[in-house]
Amino acid sequence: MTDRTTTTAAVPGVWAIMRPVRGQIRFAMFLASLSALASLLALGALAWVVHELFARPGEWPWHGLAAATALTVAAYTLRLLAFNQSHYAAFRLETILRTRLSEHLARVPLGWAQQMGSGALAKIMQDDVRALHVFVADSTPLYARAYVAPLATFVALWLLDWRLALAATAVLVFGFIVLGLAMRDSTELMRQYNEARERVSAAVVEFVQAMPVVRTFDSGNDTFGRYQRALEGYLEMVTRWYRQAGFASRFSLAILNPMPTLAVLLWLGAWLVWRDALAPATWLAVLLIGSGMAESMLPLMSLKHLVNKTGISIRRIHEVLATPPMPVPDAASARRPADAGVRFEAVSFRYTKDGPEVLREVSFSAPPGSVTALVGPSGAGKTTVARLIPRFWDVTAGRILVGGVDVRGMAPETLMTQVAFVFQDTFLFSDSIADNIRLGRPDAPLEDVIAAAQAAQAHDFIMALPQGYDTPAGERGIFLSGGQRQRITIARAILQNRPILVLDEATAFADPENEAALVAALSNLMRGKTVLMVAHRLSTIRDADQILVFDQGRLAEAGRHDELLARHDVYARLWGNYEKAQHWALGGTASADTARVPEGTAP
Amino acid sequence: MTGMTSPAADSMAVTPLAETWRQLLRSARGHAPQLRASLIGLALAAAVQGLALACLPPLFQALLTQRDAGATLGWLAAMTVLMLVSTVLRWWAQGFDYRGDMTANTHELRTLLGEQLRRIPLEVLQDRRAGEINSTLLGSVDENLHYVLTIANMMATALITPVVVALALLPIDWRLGLILLLTFPLLIPLYRWRRPAFGRGKRMVAEAHRRTSADILEYTQGLPVLRAACREGEKFQRLRQSLAHLQQIQAIGQKKGAKPNLVMASVMELAMLLVACAGVTFAVMGTLEIAVLAAVLVVVMRFAEPLATFVLYTQVIDLTEAALRHIEALLAIEPLPQLTPAQEPQSFDVRFEDVDFCYARGDGPALRGFDATLPARSLSALVGPSGAGKTTVTRLLMRHADPQRGRVLIGGVDVRAIPPDRLNALISAVFQDVYLFDDSILANIRMAKPGATDEEVEAAARAAYCHDFITRLPEGYATRVGDIGGRLSGGERQRISIARAMLKNAPIVILDEPTAALDTESEVAVQQAIDALVRDRTVIVIAHRLSTIAAADRILVIDGGGLVEQGRHAELLAAGGRYRAMWDAQARVKDWHLPGATAPASA
Repeated sequence: MTDRTTTTAAVPGVWAIMRPVRGQIRFAMFLASLSALASLLALGALAWVVHELFARPGEWPWHGLAAATALTVAAYTLRLLAFNQSHYAAFRLETILRTRLSEHLARVPLGWAQQMGSGALAKIMQDDVRALHVFVADSTPLYARAYVAPLATFVALWLLDWRLALAATAVLVFGFIVLGLAMRDSTELMRQYNEARERVSAAVVEFVQAMPVVRTFDSGNDTFGRYQRALEGYLEMVTRWYRQAGFASRFSLAILNPMPTLAVLLWLGAWLVWRDALAPATWLAVLLIGSGMAESMLPLMSLKHLVNKTGISIRRIHEVLATPPMPVPDAASARRPADAGVRFEAVSFRYTKDGPEVLREVSFSAPPGSVTALVGPSGAGKTTVARLIPRFWDVTAGRILVGGVDVRGMAPETLMTQVAFVFQDTFLFSDSIADNIRLGRPDAPLEDVIAAAQAAQAHDFIMALPQGYDTPAGERGIFLSGGQRQRITIARAILQNRPILVLDEATAFADPENEAALVAALSNLMRGKTVLMVAHRLSTIRDADQILVFDQGRLAEAGRHDELLARHDVYARLWGNYEKAQHWALGGTASADTARVPEGTAP
Repeated sequence: MTGMTSPAADSMAVTPLAETWRQLLRSARGHAPQLRASLIGLALAAAVQGLALACLPPLFQALLTQRDAGATLGWLAAMTVLMLVSTVLRWWAQGFDYRGDMTANTHELRTLLGEQLRRIPLEVLQDRRAGEINSTLLGSVDENLHYVLTIANMMATALITPVVVALALLPIDWRLGLILLLTFPLLIPLYRWRRPAFGRGKRMVAEAHRRTSADILEYTQGLPVLRAACREGEKFQRLRQSLAHLQQIQAIGQKKGAKPNLVMASVMELAMLLVACAGVTFAVMGTLEIAVLAAVLVVVMRFAEPLATFVLYTQVIDLTEAALRHIEALLAIEPLPQLTPAQEPQSFDVRFEDVDFCYARGDGPALRGFDATLPARSLSALVGPSGAGKTTVTRLLMRHADPQRGRVLIGGVDVRAIPPDRLNALISAVFQDVYLFDDSILANIRMAKPGATDEEVEAAARAAYCHDFITRLPEGYATRVGDIGGRLSGGERQRISIARAMLKNAPIVILDEPTAALDTESEVAVQQAIDALVRDRTVIVIAHRLSTIAAADRILVIDGGGLVEQGRHAELLAAGGRYRAMWDAQARVKDWHLPGATAPASA
């Protein structure tokens, strides 16, 4: 049973994903099976009690009653134990899977993790793992019981009286044949049903999410129409399903209800007892255990549905775990960089095997201590260049050298002690501000932290916080503006003091008053480092030692500001646009500023 | 995130069954009579089933004790007829599902909820958690309500059938009847009475889940930073602790949470043993016929399975109750009140008269005594630090909410007196983030004016500098946004939203940081599009970069929810106040030069 897998070969089934806790689950299922047997025997014991009473009226049937009590208690205890075991196994499985997922995330290419999105990954780790719980914890004992109980009942019935067993079985078989008819086209209908449901969910999400934006346009008529159409499609689908399968499924449920079996057993049994062809006690035993046979099989249906539902979560978990980790050199062959230079040698890159080339044969060199600016229109590849250095991805062709060593030939820790990053999206942990700055140098004394914060222009606002450097930050901490958060991450980079610095769009989102402080902070950070910065605000990079201009994945131009302007090519155009955007003023026609705005041409 | 997956917090409150009944019928709306009839039908079916089972003791008496063929046949026939009646009743009652009434009902309910979402104040919808609840609610209305009949059937068989049997048993043997009457039917009230206590265990687990969820999200979000700092191991340890803690709490919660099942199962098993022991005692004493005891045993053992199933489904009841509560709560939200008589403004100047406003979920006022006039056909700029209240001003104008004090006027008319669709038609808004629907580009622009011809849409697209890039898309205007996904740049999306505003052609235009997130190339195009949009309109713009709004007819400096300064650029500069300080800060940034840029480097 444990090796059962779903049709898609690569994705593990519910049983396979339980492998880490397999032993405990098996134990739980074993206990549940024992419990089912004990209940059955308890009913048998009750029949025995009545048999004793018939045989020796007026005498206490001690043995039977004691057995019935003991077996009932045993069944009850075993069931409880089974559920406890399966629940503990499920909790353990959750922990194991979450641990594996988080360990794995620490090794996969970061770019992949970013593409998936932190929210989606967190959802997989939290919700999808949790979705397994219902099956693993609640259903495995039921599963065992749903198999064992009918089987044992069946055997017991045949042992007791073959005629009654035959009758009970016949009712059951008839019920399942009708049920089979009802479910005949269910796979196809199920697929259509799921599709209709998905459309409804998509429409709902769109309808609710877009509402604030949409209401400013059309009071939601358009989206409402879309929502309405999805609902109608769903209504139509479900109604059709009921019409198609309704009668048969209703009929089969009416038959599989214990009452018909009971009726048949009563009629036949009464007739047999009347003719003295059946002992009343045997009849009683059959009545006690027989009528519930159909009932105990019905859970199999809903369990099957549950397995299908769990499959979706399993697939998502599997997808993460199946992503190959980034190759890392073994400790012996790992090399250390010689200096703080960065060199790209004919680097080409594509995100997926058959995706478009994002970078094409890019070669450049950034000597130690120099400032290199990466510019170009959006989608030109400059951010990709910045993110290849810390190995968010690995290059498709060519190589990237840091200090003369291929980044793939370095231990990740070595690479990371060479390079510091300041990215657009600042992230603070829910630790104190001091610990957030200390990240990467956990043993740094507070004086160093304060010095770094001062250099990052963050000291003043930190001191103004209720608990100063001990103020908790992050989601669960105090509210900090985007600019303030950014200065904390800059302080972090200053404290890390690594020879190479990669900056991505560092000043894009700051408001004016913060921006000045941010710029001062960056100046302090960049002092004496090999800097590679992605920039849109061209004025900040006029003085760069080298400006690399990217266009459609190629390195189009390289040089200093004046040289590039003189070439009247890509950079000159970018600069022109930049100047224009800088001087744009709304309603500018009325203003004296207009004189300064160069005549624009349509793009 | 956990809020969505754990209805635990909601299940704290125990809705009285009578209230659930009323809510259920209210939610059935036009189908309420049918639903009521169905539910009563199910109750009747269960009662008749009880009567059928109550035929067993006399049947056994007739057959085993009296050996009376006529009576035996009579009771057998009576039982069979009652059983058939019960089946027919149930068949008919389940018709509410199978005839499609339930589907039609959930369909109507969802439509109604959708319409309600269009009427309620936008402020309510902007709360993210409320949004999540709403989408879950709309998405799962059918799932929650579809179980109503199944659950009702289970409750009826678990509750009503035993009561009827017990009552019918009273005349035959009042002692056994009384025991039955005092045990089985008490299960459900007992369970409901104890449920708040069980809820505490659930709440503890839900809280642990929330914490782990936050830790997981922090881990996935912080992954790039952690890996850059080589600290993933350390944070990973913390996550691991959190996971271990969760598992611990889950185990404790399991012990507590298992109790409802434990109590019910214990009472159930106990009652059955009690009946058996008491019955045997009476039989031994000779005060109870053995045949009757045998029949009672058969009947009582039949109660076990429905009760056990019912216990398993109690969680579904919680879900349904929670869904019903949410539905009522959502439907109870009142739309913003309209003043009568309805009025329409003839001119388009905007006035805020001494406005106080507090967000429902905010701490402290967002606007305090805000008083300002924005003349028609002029450009007014709102500037100030983040959180000063600029966006709130525009939201009050669009009537996302009403101020607690003061008035908002358009052309001298209180916005509360303008019919919502008219108010909507007066204002276009262009925000930083643009929501595009998974539909064609054409439809995405046309949503601003549903009746617009293709030519009108194209004209708007041209005016918004969209036409060129749209025609370059694989299928031009017919290209579906979903098919090209992320391939539209921020600037392109922004221009589509400007095209929408163009097409809408409203006399008042709100621009909220429309160019903040764009790169230089896009910015120029978006700026040109905006220039075309704002001609001859009342324009309200929020901008961080002050140079953009230097030419505004009126600049309003907002801080701490109030108007601090206003005037033209030159006046405000001369005044040397808050605006002057902001302007100087930005000017310093413009002149920023890179540090460390030393010697020209060679590529």
